[in-house]
Amino acid sequence: MAKISNIHEQSHKPHRLRQAGPSKNTKKKKQHGGEDEKSATLRSSVKAKKLQSRSVEKEQRKLHVPTIERNYGEPPPFVVVVHGPPQVGKSLLIKCLVKHYTKHHLQDVQGPITIVSGKKRRVQFVECPNDINGMIDAAKFADLALLLIDGSYGFEMETFEFLNILQVHGFPKIMGVLTHLDKFKDVKKLKKTKQRLKHRFWTEIYDGAKLFYLSGLINGKYVKREVHNLARFISVMKFHPLSWRTSHPYVLVDRFEDVTPPERVRVNNKCDRNVTLYGYLRGCNLKKGTKVHIAGVGDYDLAGVTALADPCPLPSAAKKKGLRDKEKLFYAPMSGLGDLVYDKDAVYININDHFVQYSNVDNKNEGMTSKGKDLDVGEALVKSLQNTKYSIDEKLDKSSISYFSRNANISSEAQNDAQGNHEALEQSHSLEPNILGEETDAEDLDSSESSDQDEAAQKDAVVNGESGNSDEEYGNPKEQVEFHEGRLRRKAMFGNDIDDKDLKDSDEGSEDDDDVDDQSFSDSEFSEENGDDLERNEEDVGNVSKWKESLVERTIPKQNTNLMQLVYGKSAPSPINEGQADSEDDESDDEFFKLKGEGNKKSREGFDVENVDADECSKFTNYSDLKKWINEEICESIRDRFVTGDWSKAAQRNQLSTATVVDDEDSVSGDFEDLETGEKHGSHQREESGNGAMQEEDELEEGQRRLKKLALRAKFDAQYPFPVKLFHYSYEEVDEKNEAKFHRGQANESGYFDKLKEEIEIRKQRNIAELNDLDEEIRLEIEGFQTGTYLRLELHDVPFEMVEHFDPCDPILVGGIGLGEENVGYMQARLKRHRWHRKVLKTKDPVILSIGWRRYQTTPIYAIEDRNGRHRMLKYTPEHMHCLATFWGPLAPPNTGVVAVQNLANNQASFRVTATAVVLEFNHAAKIVKKVKLVGHPCKIFKKTALIMNMFTSDLEVARFEGAAVRTVSGIRGQVKKAAKEEIGNHPTKKGGAPREGIARCTFEDRILMSDIVFLRAWTQVEVPNFYNPLTTALQPRNKTWQGMKTMAELRREHNLPIPVNKDSLYKPIERKPKKFNPLVIPKSLQAALPFESKPKNIPSRRRPTLERRRAVVMESDERRVHALVQQLRLITNDKVLNSLKNVALQMKKRKLKKEQERKKLEAEKAKDEELSKKRKREIRRERYRVQEKLKKKPRRNSDA
Amino acid sequence: MGKVSYKKLRGSQNLRQRLLLATLSATPIQIEDIRANDMLPGLLPHEVSLLRLLEKISDDCLVKINETGTKLKYKPGILMGGRHLVHDCGVSRAIGYFLEPLIVLGLFSKKPLSIRLKGITSDSKDPCVDTFRSTTLPLLKQFGVPSEGLELKIESRGSPPHGGGEVLLSVPIIQSLMAVTWIDEGMVKRIRGVTFSTRVSHQFEDTMIHAARGIFNRLLPDVRIFTDHRAGPQAGNSPGYGISLVAETTSGCFISADTAVSYARVDDGGMEDERQELMPPEDVGEQIASVLLQEIEQGGVVDTTHQGLLFLLCALCPQDVSKIRVGKLLPHGIEILRLIRDFLGVKFVIKPDPSTGTVILKCVGSGLKNLSRKSS
Repeated sequence: MAKISNIHEQSHKPHRLRQAGPSKNTKKKKQHGGEDEKSATLRSSVKAKKLQSRSVEKEQRKLHVPTIERNYGEPPPFVVVVHGPPQVGKSLLIKCLVKHYTKHHLQDVQGPITIVSGKKRRVQFVECPNDINGMIDAAKFADLALLLIDGSYGFEMETFEFLNILQVHGFPKIMGVLTHLDKFKDVKKLKKTKQRLKHRFWTEIYDGAKLFYLSGLINGKYVKREVHNLARFISVMKFHPLSWRTSHPYVLVDRFEDVTPPERVRVNNKCDRNVTLYGYLRGCNLKKGTKVHIAGVGDYDLAGVTALADPCPLPSAAKKKGLRDKEKLFYAPMSGLGDLVYDKDAVYININDHFVQYSNVDNKNEGMTSKGKDLDVGEALVKSLQNTKYSIDEKLDKSSISYFSRNANISSEAQNDAQGNHEALEQSHSLEPNILGEETDAEDLDSSESSDQDEAAQKDAVVNGESGNSDEEYGNPKEQVEFHEGRLRRKAMFGNDIDDKDLKDSDEGSEDDDDVDDQSFSDSEFSEENGDDLERNEEDVGNVSKWKESLVERTIPKQNTNLMQLVYGKSAPSPINEGQADSEDDESDDEFFKLKGEGNKKSREGFDVENVDADECSKFTNYSDLKKWINEEICESIRDRFVTGDWSKAAQRNQLSTATVVDDEDSVSGDFEDLETGEKHGSHQREESGNGAMQEEDELEEGQRRLKKLALRAKFDAQYPFPVKLFHYSYEEVDEKNEAKFHRGQANESGYFDKLKEEIEIRKQRNIAELNDLDEEIRLEIEGFQTGTYLRLELHDVPFEMVEHFDPCDPILVGGIGLGEENVGYMQARLKRHRWHRKVLKTKDPVILSIGWRRYQTTPIYAIEDRNGRHRMLKYTPEHMHCLATFWGPLAPPNTGVVAVQNLANNQASFRVTATAVVLEFNHAAKIVKKVKLVGHPCKIFKKTALIMNMFTSDLEVARFEGAAVRTVSGIRGQVKKAAKEEIGNHPTKKGGAPREGIARCTFEDRILMSDIVFLRAWTQVEVPNFYNPLTTALQPRNKTWQGMKTMAELRREHNLPIPVNKDSLYKPIERKPKKFNPLVIPKSLQAALPFESKPKNIPSRRRPTLERRRAVVMESDERRVHALVQQLRLITNDKVLNSLKNVALQMKKRKLKKEQERKKLEAEKAKDEELSKKRKREIRRERYRVQEKLKKKPRRNSDA
Repeated sequence: MGKVSYKKLRGSQNLRQRLLLATLSATPIQIEDIRANDMLPGLLPHEVSLLRLLEKISDDCLVKINETGTKLKYKPGILMGGRHLVHDCGVSRAIGYFLEPLIVLGLFSKKPLSIRLKGITSDSKDPCVDTFRSTTLPLLKQFGVPSEGLELKIESRGSPPHGGGEVLLSVPIIQSLMAVTWIDEGMVKRIRGVTFSTRVSHQFEDTMIHAARGIFNRLLPDVRIFTDHRAGPQAGNSPGYGISLVAETTSGCFISADTAVSYARVDDGGMEDERQELMPPEDVGEQIASVLLQEIEQGGVVDTTHQGLLFLLCALCPQDVSKIRVGKLLPHGIEILRLIRDFLGVKFVIKPDPSTGTVILKCVGSGLKNLSRKSS
């Protein structure tokens, strides 16, 4: 063995350490660590503790509060907004991406383009418009923003503006894309630029943010490989929910139609229009009564919401490896991709050549899905049309006969032809609504009847409208058919049939009987064409009429709908507006013959027997039918409701009910897939769909146990960090990962987080379970439209400008308004001027704010909170600080981000985002105050009391300020007492006028002077102007700049007005006259009384010398000598001192000189050295250059040769 | 700026709930024909008092009543809450009438609410304050309302007709409620109660307790009824007595019944000097015990009095599914369901459970958040 091992060892070549290069050192270091383990460990326990706590803290900081995600169905396509300054290649990028995904060439990019990018994922590309309004709106719906940057130019303001807007509105995912990199000829420069731009990008977002490089164009397209990579990144991108969006429904409109009756438009071109907007519902569920805000237009009630079949569905869930080419679907009605071509006033339905094969199986691309079991009328019709062997003309000739039997009065051949043509086409076209109707009908069979009625009526109306068309509208064809390059192109006149339908919709019910007739009529008409469908059609008709007959019977056995009906009434009225309308109607009939009180009684149904003015009382005790609980047997009847009773029976009581519920669920949700088992056994490619919750119900019959199981599964989810949910946002996954890490680290500490997650998971599963056991109708009523459904929103009375100035390049955002968000009021926001904006903002100058879905102009008042809680007004925003901004406008919930913009113009060079803010609260009571200083002068001074005038203008004002503190400039404090009365000194003027008003009597702590100025410092409230002006940018041409209220500065500039100057506020040079004080004179008598200490001693100098001074002194000879001697001695000493001082100075000078010399010397030496080194360096460099030059020359010569 | 569009309603019915829902959903309402055909047209004193109370706890709210009082315009403001508020509820309705909306509004206001309410603490029409303490506050806790700061203190009691009671209510603020799944009624494990008497002998209370226990004893041994006899200034201005019982189940449901006996009010009882006989305390005790048993028999997680509140709280939850079980749907509850539909757009799925004779309701909450709360 040893031998073998030896051989074995020998066969290996030993690892050779690096001998050179940077990795040499690193290796060594590591080795060193390995050798001496002790040195790697921490020596200090304190330090270890600190490190540990730090790491724990870091981990904790990574955790987010888990949020419940309430989107249960298929997610809507993710919105990828492509943004960049003009001419940077946005459209081209979208085109390339579309080409990559769908293999189709896109002519021009207009409006959102929906693309199926994977088995589970759809993407919607939107090009961001170049104006700031469009950017703001785009930031609100973007899930991913691709920021295109011209690499050859560098960053432009638009990018940063957009980044700021994104940040405020929730910060979706961002990827940068550098284009125009082929303009760099120098590789080094390119590399450097890339590096520079990347780092700048990182500082703006986060370190490591993805920045893509598109190196150049090949045949006018980006390089395929790079686009492919980019597409890969897009399709694996994970999105996390943003709080504003998860709480508000919104629709990014990808199809827009004007459905105003054409007659109305013809009569008045500027009448209010009815429009329909189509798009995927995002955010949260949309309930029927919700109001919506259309960005740039205004708030509207939804006149109608309908869920439509998904025009761009995900590929079927069947197991397949990849996407087959055929299923790579895309939908972009505004830019002419897909089935519909969008035009200004018409929609072209476009059928691609190779799809017009009228295959027997597949007619998907006409936007309908076959129900599966039995064919519908329309479908059969299409099939029969497809199966024909004859050409269309021949067929039409034949088929026209059948019409003629009906419309005998038309005889001309030409008409004949044309009409037949229209008819046939119309029929085939009419399939869409018809099938829709059928579908809903089929669903209705098992659903409650309340909406049945609507639905059926609608359907009837549809059919009716059609047959009506075929009867009457010969002269006015609905579709124009063209054969264009071998392709059938049908131009449908804008919105005709839809209105018909709507008109009928509005007066539903009234003409039910006619409808039925009509329907049978039209059915029979169909049946003439294709006999084999006859029976089925009649069945349908029978069905329709049947439900009307057995309406009551069918609802009776359904207890639940019955109770709901009892409570909510039969046909659910729209929650708002309707109120008590029905009772009113009833009253009008009966009023004459009934007692006042009884009128209402009859009109209400069911429980509701109270009258309108019933006394309100939550307590409802009926003492009359109290049982005799003293009786033994009555008492025993509820024995089981007490703990003293039979526990098992009581348990059964609760269980029974749940069991029934479960049964219900089973009956409803029988077709759910069982995915759980597969997933439980450890595969991580689990697909969790909404139905996932419902598995294994057949085995388990108890809801409780199921929930427990779900909880277990939640735990399982939490423990395994695999990318579990394909549908779900990355947010959770990240959390899970974190958490898993945590598990390994400190298992016990993550308990709380675990618990939170588990709770949320249980709640979610419970929601799904509860919702799934409702039938579709009720679910829609309870929950609203689910996110991800394709909706058709109908709006009435929209200004015509919206249609007139509609531009498909400017995406329309429709956002739902939450409870209380349509109200206007005062809001307080914490605002900070953007540091790139050049000027500070002025109070009461209008700014444009973007909050929530809205954009509006308002006039904020800036304030700051003082230490004592007072909100002090600021004239201007602080330079680098947050301040409070209070403004009036439609309310947005606290914590909503706000972007402020002052100038919308595109031609502005500087940064347009003026400030960012976040809403703090709604605050009506926020008192913003500003300082006011009342100035007055004393007009009469008593001892410590003074009368102050000019401070107030009336006695009433004085009364208001009684007790207020005043102060003089010199600092003497005082108080306002009262308005000065006459007798105290405020005498009427001598000419006999009334006493002057507004003179206040004040007392001071000391006597003030007449020259004093008296101040009263007070605070006065500032009103926030009640002004807001919604931005109606969608109602004007896009190239025009919206003009709202102008700022003061703009107005001044326009009118050439100077800035008003208050002269008093100007600073003047301060002139201070020297104060002259009079000498202190102490009276003689006082002086005499003073003690010696206090007696004035320094008697001032006299002008005339005193007598003593004036007198001459005559010295004697002896004295004179002494005096001379003394003087001489003094001279000597003085001289000595002087000399010594001189000496010292000299020495100092000398020393200084010496130092100077030394320094000079040193400097000279240094200079010399430097010269030398320079020389040397130069030589070295020269040498190097020479060598380089040589090297360069060599290859050149080679290449030349 | 901005024309306010009012939601139009008629009649005085459910005024309290309408005002409550209008305030929560920030919908301006206009009510017409308030008792237009009555002998005494217009708003009654307690309704006006309720409006005043709303004005007191909210900011920027607008109440306009026309001269006859038959027309009311109400534009809700922002709920402020606040401490040291005082409100005189008057004597036309008991404090319970005001407490019911106030509790919900307090949860959604800017600052925690603490308010002193003066008036009648218990009468036969409205749930008495003891029931609030014992049943309503625990009900709120089911929806995730923290128990600290949620309190009702009875300072003094007052019976009709002259009142004189005083309670101190404090309600914490919340960000949002929590959806419940609450269908397990459990079994009654204990019965508690309070009797109270003002300006009458405390013998009355003992008699009531004795009578009530007589009925319960056969079913449950764990029955404890406390007495709360007030005298002097704490007893209010008029004599009266009453009892409030609550049955607690194993699953944490509280089912209550209460009543109070006192002399009738002057306006609806005729002359003051001819006082009718009060119901004897034995009968009161027996009756209320029977009512409680009836409530228990009906089933459901709450008693009939709290149905409306329960529905409302469910509708105010975040957008999760709430599932609850109640006994019989009462007219009051139905009215509230309708109002919830009108104001909040929340519809309930109502399914009877025939095996127990109860009703199971399900709804997806409206996702109301406390908007007035200041973000820090």
